[in-house]
Amino acid sequence: MNDTVSLTIDGQPVEVPTGATIWDAARAIGIDIPVLCHSTRMRPVGVCRVCVVETGARNLQAACVRPCEQGMEVRTDTDKVERNRRMLLELLLGDYPEPSAREVTTGDDALLALARDYALETSRFHRAGGATEGRRDTSSPVIVVDHQACILCDRCIRGCDELQHNHVMTRSGKGATTHIAFDLDVPMGESTCVACGECQAVCPTGALTNRSLQGLRVVVEEERP
Amino acid sequence: MELLNRLMALQQRDGALTDDALKALARELRLPLYRLEGLRSFYPFFRMQPGAPRRLSVCRDVACRMRAGPGFPESVAQALADVDGVAVEPVSCLGLCHAAPAALAGDVPVCGDAATLRDGMTGRRPQPLVGDPPAEIAEVDPYPGADARYGTLAELLRSGSPDAVIETLEASELRGMGGAGFPTGRKWRFTRAAQGMPRTVVCNADESEPGTFKDRLLLERAPHLVVEAMVIGGWVVGAGHGIIYLRHEYEHARETLEQALERARGAGMLGRDILGSGFDFELELFISPGGYIMGEETALLEGLEDKRGEPRNKPPFPTQVGYNGGPTLMNNVETFALIPRILQDGAAAWKARGRDGYNGLKFLSVSGDVLAPGVYCVATGTPIREVIEHAGGMAEGRQLYAFSPGGASTPFLPAERADTPVDFDALARAGAGLGSGALFVVGEGRDLLDLAIQQVRFFRSESCGKCVPCRVGSAQAVRKLEAAQNGAPESGLASLLEELDETLAQTSICGLGQVALTPIMSLLHHFPNEAARLRREHA
Repeated sequence: MNDTVSLTIDGQPVEVPTGATIWDAARAIGIDIPVLCHSTRMRPVGVCRVCVVETGARNLQAACVRPCEQGMEVRTDTDKVERNRRMLLELLLGDYPEPSAREVTTGDDALLALARDYALETSRFHRAGGATEGRRDTSSPVIVVDHQACILCDRCIRGCDELQHNHVMTRSGKGATTHIAFDLDVPMGESTCVACGECQAVCPTGALTNRSLQGLRVVVEEERP
Repeated sequence: MELLNRLMALQQRDGALTDDALKALARELRLPLYRLEGLRSFYPFFRMQPGAPRRLSVCRDVACRMRAGPGFPESVAQALADVDGVAVEPVSCLGLCHAAPAALAGDVPVCGDAATLRDGMTGRRPQPLVGDPPAEIAEVDPYPGADARYGTLAELLRSGSPDAVIETLEASELRGMGGAGFPTGRKWRFTRAAQGMPRTVVCNADESEPGTFKDRLLLERAPHLVVEAMVIGGWVVGAGHGIIYLRHEYEHARETLEQALERARGAGMLGRDILGSGFDFELELFISPGGYIMGEETALLEGLEDKRGEPRNKPPFPTQVGYNGGPTLMNNVETFALIPRILQDGAAAWKARGRDGYNGLKFLSVSGDVLAPGVYCVATGTPIREVIEHAGGMAEGRQLYAFSPGGASTPFLPAERADTPVDFDALARAGAGLGSGALFVVGEGRDLLDLAIQQVRFFRSESCGKCVPCRVGSAQAVRKLEAAQNGAPESGLASLLEELDETLAQTSICGLGQVALTPIMSLLHHFPNEAARLRREHA
């Protein structure tokens, strides 16, 4: 087997080690593919799907998990890619709580930032009245859980399990009732959580935030006349 | 399998997987609690609290819904509301579509209206047992009697070659009968060529798509064909281990399979040194803790590895990286069951069994508005209209209005396309597909919109929840469709559904999400009357 493969991304040639993902290859040549579930510190899982790209396959491929192939011609910027990413964001915004605990404290809500990139101000979808609607867990002295802001990106679970080896978190339920859970789905503060903070550090949304920041507000300095 | 088997046993012993039981298990097996919670909450067989001592699981899907009306599970619940110790729960298709409306009383298939089901549960009358449907299984059994079974395997082990088996399968143009239609010979070739261990043969017997019950009948009537083909598969791809993944609702099929396995072992067709050839092959039966998604091949593998049944991103495909990381040969029940006949008769003879230039035979589960719903073995190429005649013709003097040729994942087509031949490519050209071969027949006067929405609801309910488009998109679509059905379609609904359908089809990880809106899109495309009910100007 060859050690490297060559492909083009948006017309630019790139050579990467065999097994590298499209997302890694794009990054190497300065092409930014948006992600919500992926993190360079973690094994990719390909669940949020906003990193989808065209490869000539029957359907779009998630760049974060799709290995590059010799001669592949990847497009990251077509109309088809953009409108499907936009739809995914619109779906996520449909039942997203207002305000996001992350956006109003640290101001770095990745979902809202990406929605701004796509000029999405409203969603044609509305709260689905699902299992997580309005569910907040304030039992932990350190971390606040807002289930409704959770997009099930799996970052907290990988952070807890694979980065910190604390083995507390899982997805519980199935389909539309799926939610993040601690131990046997007990409140975070009653679980074996050691409050290391990894989950809230890697969370891209307002689902897991630092309790001590609650009540703080991002202040935008007024420009002096 | 080990952990899920333990959980299944606990569930059966206690009627639930209680927190206490899981904590004890976690200590014993040195597993984190979250691992057990992930499994308990994912698989429908598991419960947190023991329910009523007796359970009646009532089908809510299309064949039963069409016969008994949309509120059927609720009316059964009402009929039994004053009966102590009985819980009624609506469930997804049970594969009893020929007896619609149907239910499971515990493990026992029963059928009939709400009063009949009530009388069975209270003991006022005997349980209204589901009878055997017409099933043309013998067509594909090459053996005249029990003594001749496994003759193909014996011959191959004596003087055959694995490569010749693959060549015959390729020449036969047999395709996967689970729904995807992937060429079987190519799959066997890929798996044989793949490097790595362990090597495993898996039979996907998790048939759960609404309207599909052919695999159940095949397993009940001819399990030896599946067992034989799996041993042959093991011999061809160099695997010594096989697993049959069976849905837990198929209790009778479990019994017939276990008997077949026992007989095969007794006859030396399984185990060590089969027929003195030096080839070892062990076959085990795994009972699924439930859920349609488990029939997706990589979800099935996750289940076998004791994980939540969430489909994997592909590639790699199971032929390369499957069960426990090794090459895995996975086929559907029907695909395996056809193989002894194909190898006995040869590819040319098999192909000649089709008609009008199409190849081979196909099992169809025919349900809905036909007089004799059942499992029919037809020559590939037979027009749908003839299949309907073969199944007794239309019921109740109805005219054909619509049909879905291959299960919930294939579009509804209008009556004028009923001349389309039964064939993967011909049906695809007609705008549908052969899917799992579940021909669901809808007569004039039925509420097709209601049935299509139920199909979408089925996918919504069976979504694993792993990826955004399927988890969120299917739920949002159902909400909007229900609002439209109640007379209030939102403005722009049809075009929103077009956009949403593209995103589900293009970005979902697995086939479930990719087809979740197919039933409703086919109404928008082929049925102007139903489409009008989804447009605001109609309301």
